[in-house]
Amino acid sequence: MKNRKNKWISGVVLAGIITLAAAGCTSPGGQNNQAAAPEKDTVYIAGMKFKPAELWINQWDTVVWINNDIVAHDVTQFPDKTWSSDSIQPGQSWEKAFGDSVDYFCSIHPTMKGKIMIRQ
Amino acid sequence: MNTLKSITKWTGAALACVLFFSSTTWAQSSSKLTDPEIASVAVTANQIDVNYGKIALRKSKNKEIRKFAETMIKDHTDIIKQAVALATRLHVTPKTNATTKSLLDGEKSTTKTLDSKRGKAFDEAYIDNEVAYHKAVINAVQNVLIPDATNQDLKDLLTKVMPLLNSHLEMAENTQAEIQGKKVSANTGGSSW
Repeated sequence: MKNRKNKWISGVVLAGIITLAAAGCTSPGGQNNQAAAPEKDTVYIAGMKFKPAELWINQWDTVVWINNDIVAHDVTQFPDKTWSSDSIQPGQSWEKAFGDSVDYFCSIHPTMKGKIMIRQ
Repeated sequence: MNTLKSITKWTGAALACVLFFSSTTWAQSSSKLTDPEIASVAVTANQIDVNYGKIALRKSKNKEIRKFAETMIKDHTDIIKQAVALATRLHVTPKTNATTKSLLDGEKSTTKTLDSKRGKAFDEAYIDNEVAYHKAVINAVQNVLIPDATNQDLKDLLTKVMPLLNSHLEMAENTQAEIQGKKVSANTGGSSW
């Protein structure tokens, strides 16, 4: 009998903890307040283009460039070249996380351009 | 005045080059090229541009010309490797033909001209030829090689090369404009973002 009562109390406490935890994550307006966990977004390189050329991401998401083209490319910050990938060979990929919006281009083929934009 | 003369002269030379390639070299006759002949033409056309690039690295001190030449050598060497790998996989032996021979004759003539130039005159001659050569190659791949190819893998490779050739042409035209002192957007080749 005592054992059954203990189990009931444990159940109530556990349910309370779950309810409180859920409430802590939710704003009065009912929206989730927690920052989304960083995700991976992909830019494909094909036909001498970055696809998509303009990509919206959440802050600190990681962008992966996959080279599906027939020659090597790179990904370089525009205009100051403050960062750059090494040469990305066909079939290979390179990734980087972004806190701010950036313009970039392929320094090997400067006609190829792209943008990463951060959602507010 | 000298610059104007030089530009006029090289515009004429480039035009002659385009006319030579488009009317004589590529469209030899109404007969279709076979796949082994197309493979030979493709490898030869790429190798010729690699060779022009090597001449530029030997003769030019201009940063833009050298960067462009390095990219041409790298990209066209990669395409040759892929064309040879495809031909090997398909058991196709590239077959020398009248178009290949004509291309090689054109290379001899252009190499002689390039070898006779120095300094800025060489840079202008090299980049003018690159613009003309890429225009001619694009025209030939689009209107002769792709339509004539019967093997689908060969057709696909030629089709995949087209955006690369168009990008090379745009890069050549931007480098040409910079050599001629015209303004081009820094790093980006002038196209809109």
